Amino acid sequence: MLKTIFESLFTMKFLLSIVRLSTPILLASIAAFISSSTGIVNIAIESIMTFSALAGILGSYITQNAYLGCLIGLLIGILTALLIAFFSMKMGADAIFVGIALNTFADSLAIFFLYQIAGEKGTSASLMTPILPAVDIPGISSIPILGEIISGQYLLTYLCWIILIVLYILVYKTPLGMRMRACGLNADAAKTAGINVQVLQVLSLILSGFFAALGGMYLSLNYLKIFSKGMVAGQGWMGIAANGIANGNYGALLISSLIFAAFRAVSIVFNTSTIFPTDLVGTIPYFAVFVFVTAASIINYYRIKHGKVEEQ
Amino acid sequence: MKETILKLDNVTKVYPNGTVANRDINMEFEKGEIHSIVGENGAGKSTLMKIIFGIEAPSSGTVTYKGKEVHFNGSMDAIEAGIGMVHQHFMLIPSFSVVDNIILGSEPKSGIFIDRKEAVRRTQELSDKYHFELDVIAKVSTLSVAKRQKVEILKTLYRNAELIILDEPTSVLTPQETEKLFEQLRQFKEQGHTILFISHKLEEVKKISDRISVIRNGVSKGTYKNEELTMEQLTNLIIGRDLEKDFDQFKTHEDFHDEKVLKVEDLYMERNGKPVLNHMSFAVKKGEILGVAGVEGNGQQELVKCLTGLEKTAYEGKITVCDKDALEMNVKQRRELGMAYIPEDRMGDGIAASLPISDNIISTYYDREDINGKFFMNQKAINKVADDLIDTFTVKTQDNKTAVGSLSGGNVQKVVVAREYNTIPDLMIAEQPTHGIDIGSAELVHHKLLELRNQGAGILLVSADLNEVLDLSDRIIVMFDGQIAGYFPDASKTNDQELGLYMLGARHQSEEEIGGALNA
Repeated sequence: MLKTIFESLFTMKFLLSIVRLSTPILLASIAAFISSSTGIVNIAIESIMTFSALAGILGSYITQNAYLGCLIGLLIGILTALLIAFFSMKMGADAIFVGIALNTFADSLAIFFLYQIAGEKGTSASLMTPILPAVDIPGISSIPILGEIISGQYLLTYLCWIILIVLYILVYKTPLGMRMRACGLNADAAKTAGINVQVLQVLSLILSGFFAALGGMYLSLNYLKIFSKGMVAGQGWMGIAANGIANGNYGALLISSLIFAAFRAVSIVFNTSTIFPTDLVGTIPYFAVFVFVTAASIINYYRIKHGKVEEQ
Repeated sequence: MKETILKLDNVTKVYPNGTVANRDINMEFEKGEIHSIVGENGAGKSTLMKIIFGIEAPSSGTVTYKGKEVHFNGSMDAIEAGIGMVHQHFMLIPSFSVVDNIILGSEPKSGIFIDRKEAVRRTQELSDKYHFELDVIAKVSTLSVAKRQKVEILKTLYRNAELIILDEPTSVLTPQETEKLFEQLRQFKEQGHTILFISHKLEEVKKISDRISVIRNGVSKGTYKNEELTMEQLTNLIIGRDLEKDFDQFKTHEDFHDEKVLKVEDLYMERNGKPVLNHMSFAVKKGEILGVAGVEGNGQQELVKCLTGLEKTAYEGKITVCDKDALEMNVKQRRELGMAYIPEDRMGDGIAASLPISDNIISTYYDREDINGKFFMNQKAINKVADDLIDTFTVKTQDNKTAVGSLSGGNVQKVVVAREYNTIPDLMIAEQPTHGIDIGSAELVHHKLLELRNQGAGILLVSADLNEVLDLSDRIIVMFDGQIAGYFPDASKTNDQELGLYMLGARHQSEEEIGGALNA
């Protein structure tokens, strides 16, 4: 039995499942990354993903058009991010507490709306909902191994990959990106260089909401094809953890996200067998997050102690 | 007549809490001059610079730049107009390269991208032009303080600043680095830049300036040509002794047999590889006030932190409080030896602003038997102590439950002094005890210190207010650059001018003379 499990860890199927599982975590991690780059901690990524996952499905159901649904989901994600901006920057609340408030009522609010429209509290399965397609890229799909990975993915996975590249260029190669990073590293220095810190922080929150919304809708409109209660399942938090580990390093951000996705894939493989209790196996990805975050902070501690990096 | 680049007319700045930082300041700055603005700490130099650089708006009065009246709305406007500022605390991003720090906010572009090649080229060109010898692609975090300052200066030059404000630029530099900076400033001047040099180190000011403007208590005391002023005249203008007060009548003279309550021997401490306390030795006797004079930033703060036990950095030497070796003791243990402390930062270190007077007024002896019951604090006793002290120290408040933070500065200080006074100390360390408080409160604090002295306490009075030191002290030491520069066994036989010369490093006594501070 164990043998079959380990064999299945080295198959194409496993690799493909990592690719599929990585999309929401990658999007969540760049959502955390972009807001923290200007010095705003957005811990509401999980709830934005939940809101947008539902809004995407309901929007798609009402308009009977998956793309319009996707647009509505994005709008909801951005509005939620602006809510954080309003309360933390205009009204003077701590962004952390605003995030806690949103996370606390996200699930219940989502179910409230789901019940209003679908008449069910668990899933949106009863609604006839158009969803976003998977895309075959002709030509590439015939290449062995690589073709299988690159072609045939969901639409939002491709969008995610494009965003990863565009975001890198934006943050590291354009004046706007450099100014955003300056805000997060030393807001006073940015201010005296004539940069409007607040404007850039709002912009980064909007982008953060946009990415998190895509992550949520990947789950509902692409991957699972329905909205179901608790479907985000901590993937927003994993993105935040990946951002914490990466500490401003874009490469480390993506690698951490992929590692978390791999552990999710592992837990699914183990779940197909019956020798381990399902609930225990389900904790694997979360336990991995715990281990990696702890390890990262221990490493960071020693790097500061030995003067390799400056304390921030 | 040279061209005027910047003109201030009747500039007044009143902060919302009523503090008047600048009052009717009139100054003119000529193109291509090095113009120093001098004054004591808190005289209003920084506020004035903030007004010029657009960070603060004047309450009234006008700023005229290049012949036009300007109303800067933030520093961006000032930068745009051609004013640059090198802040005392650097505004740099350590993890960015020199280039990125310099171009931040006005990046050269090619398409939507930052044109790094162009950025490096322009930065290198500027650095070469002024002989800055900077590795422009190095991270700022790897640079020395002096080099970081160069980056700050380059930042202003990159934005084509014509008027450059330097706020206490030498405070972080060694003498050699200072010398180099001055060479560069002269070079800027030749190229037509106007330099506004803020400092309280007078010998440097005399060395570099074409003209000097003096500010005292927020009021302009005139602009002078450097060669028209002697060091003594300049000192007088800055310190300006307002009125003679005679405290001698309050001093009694009991004989305490030269008993020493504090002995400091060979105290030495380094920070960033530079000695900040350089082998200091002195003693405080029972029934006397030893005044410590000096321009702020010459080691006074570090000295007090070492004496009170607050210093975290390692320091060497011997500290004896009431005949006990206190070097290894923490604050609490030192207090138990009979030490009391009035801290300079009264809102930060002196009180807990949100707590009532009653809690604050017992906070250094909360565990005294009559106050601390078996399980609970004895509220009755606390109230009595608080009410008595509020009475004797005439603290203006509704009752003892008022939050200390809501009182005026003078009344907050009264609470602090009352608390320390009430511990009946053998050694009182008073750090800037009347800084920034009203005359009435200051007078009360002075009288209470004298009362303690007459009862036999030894008082170490650390103050940048020369009047205060001269008025209250029995003996005086002057600190300069972490050392005792002068020792005056009889405070009544010296004056502000003499002390001023030692404060500014123009004079330094022999080791023998200074040795009297410990052995008298």
